[in-house]
Amino acid sequence: MIAELDAFLASETIRAALPPTLLIATVTSGISVMVLAHRLSFLTVGVSHALLAGVGVAVTFALPLLPTAAASGVLVALLLTPSKGREGLDEDAGTGMLFAGAMALGIVLISAANRYDVDLFGLLFGNILTIAEEDLRALYWLGGTILAGLMFAARAWWLIAFDDTAAAATGLPVALYRMLLYSVVALTVVLCVKLAGAVLTTGLLVLPAACAWFWGRSLRALWLLSLLFSLVGSLVGLFVSYMQDWPSGATVVLALCLIFILSWGVSWLTQSVRKRALPAASPASSDSATT
Amino acid sequence: MSAPLLQLHAIAFGPEGAPVLEGIELALDGGHFMGIVGPNGAGKSTLLSIMAGLTAARSGTIELFGERLTRFNRRCLLADVGVLNQLHDRTPRLPLSVFDVVAMGLRDYAAPLWRPLGGEAAIKATLDEVGLSHLEKHDFRRLSGGQRQRVRLARALVRRPRLLLLDEPSAALDAASQEQLYLLLRRLADEQQLAIVMVEHDIAAITSHVDSVACLNVRIHHHAQRGEEIPEQVWRDMYGDHIQIVAHDAGCIGCGGKGHAR
Repeated sequence: MIAELDAFLASETIRAALPPTLLIATVTSGISVMVLAHRLSFLTVGVSHALLAGVGVAVTFALPLLPTAAASGVLVALLLTPSKGREGLDEDAGTGMLFAGAMALGIVLISAANRYDVDLFGLLFGNILTIAEEDLRALYWLGGTILAGLMFAARAWWLIAFDDTAAAATGLPVALYRMLLYSVVALTVVLCVKLAGAVLTTGLLVLPAACAWFWGRSLRALWLLSLLFSLVGSLVGLFVSYMQDWPSGATVVLALCLIFILSWGVSWLTQSVRKRALPAASPASSDSATT
Repeated sequence: MSAPLLQLHAIAFGPEGAPVLEGIELALDGGHFMGIVGPNGAGKSTLLSIMAGLTAARSGTIELFGERLTRFNRRCLLADVGVLNQLHDRTPRLPLSVFDVVAMGLRDYAAPLWRPLGGEAAIKATLDEVGLSHLEKHDFRRLSGGQRQRVRLARALVRRPRLLLLDEPSAALDAASQEQLYLLLRRLADEQQLAIVMVEHDIAAITSHVDSVACLNVRIHHHAQRGEEIPEQVWRDMYGDHIQIVAHDAGCIGCGGKGHAR
């Protein structure tokens, strides 16, 4: 095991892939708390598929790939931002339609462009092991921007998720913060596509916080636990994918799924043990896990 | 005399043919505890929402702390207003301790993370005030409805507002906790000169605690001060002819020692 770990860390490919993987794990851990709090997992699915349309447009008109994809993701996210006084199309149906429509547009544009240098498989399932130097720089910029956004608005987003009416009553510009959140989530999806691809990105954006949800009792605790789970999942996933020669993105998502199941199981066990210990306790008097 | 803390002038809301609110005039000083009562659909919650700056009135003006409320000074003026909005029946989803829920009411809670939050002493003091110090570390989701409502009140109070707006705060409470809540509000009005506007549907429960009662159904039909009798015609105008007047304790507003509508 130790020898394998040594080989893993000595590998040139892994050395190149580790920093961007850890960056993505760090960024997604924070954003995933917001994705869960605001119930945005379907948005991440919609945006990740809409990116394909962005790629199609970039290929057709010979535009730079990453900025075009990022712009299309943010555009779709803003179209889906709920706003007061705009009724009719709800988020659920809207995401569903955009999701299929944008994906179809992307497929048509890419195949019509007749270009074979677009790595469609990489786009769909991700491949962090083949990351180019210029992509890496773009990833760092993107990751930095998202973290800055998170630092700026995390508490405001948390407040809005808890009670948006009360948030508005403190004078907070709720609609603006929502638009910012949706845009930042879209940018995070763009960031994740390199690791997990369009199809698996949602896993990275939901699972870390979902694991933490059982244990954290404050924004800070949730964030830290989510970071821990995210880093562990990414490292374990990358290691296993190296050992077994499995696709990296899919293995990372699988590792996160495993952590989620473990977390769920342990939380279920501790709760049933506690319930047995305090059979007659009222819900208010039973002490809860505070972190 | 200084300007009132809250002043509404000629507030109207809704389409002109079928107004939801019309010709609302109200003024409120520090330390005054006002109840607003009226039948369902009378516009009570809408009026409170307009006072809280959440809904824009069709016409009329709102003055908060002597300054006219506009889009531009909204955030600044609302910092001194605490709001307890109506409790929807859904259980809260976010895993939060009671302490953290109250922290959300701090004035600079939504500030960027690089500005430290502080406010620990204020949170503890407010929890003490609502009698929940012992639950500080508990999971908010596991509290009873009444306890949750008191935590939400603490969240509205932790910023030390000058005006407190409450929309049916007793909806989830039993009679005893309801009484406790009103006593607490009364004390806040008396000791901290807090101005309070509370919307309730049950006038009987509030009359012995508040300073005045505004009877609202689209218009304010009557604004009774403590010890004043509300004419029977007002009740009939508000609720229609289907009310019955029942005997009630003599000390309350609106009864004048005779009877009281329910």
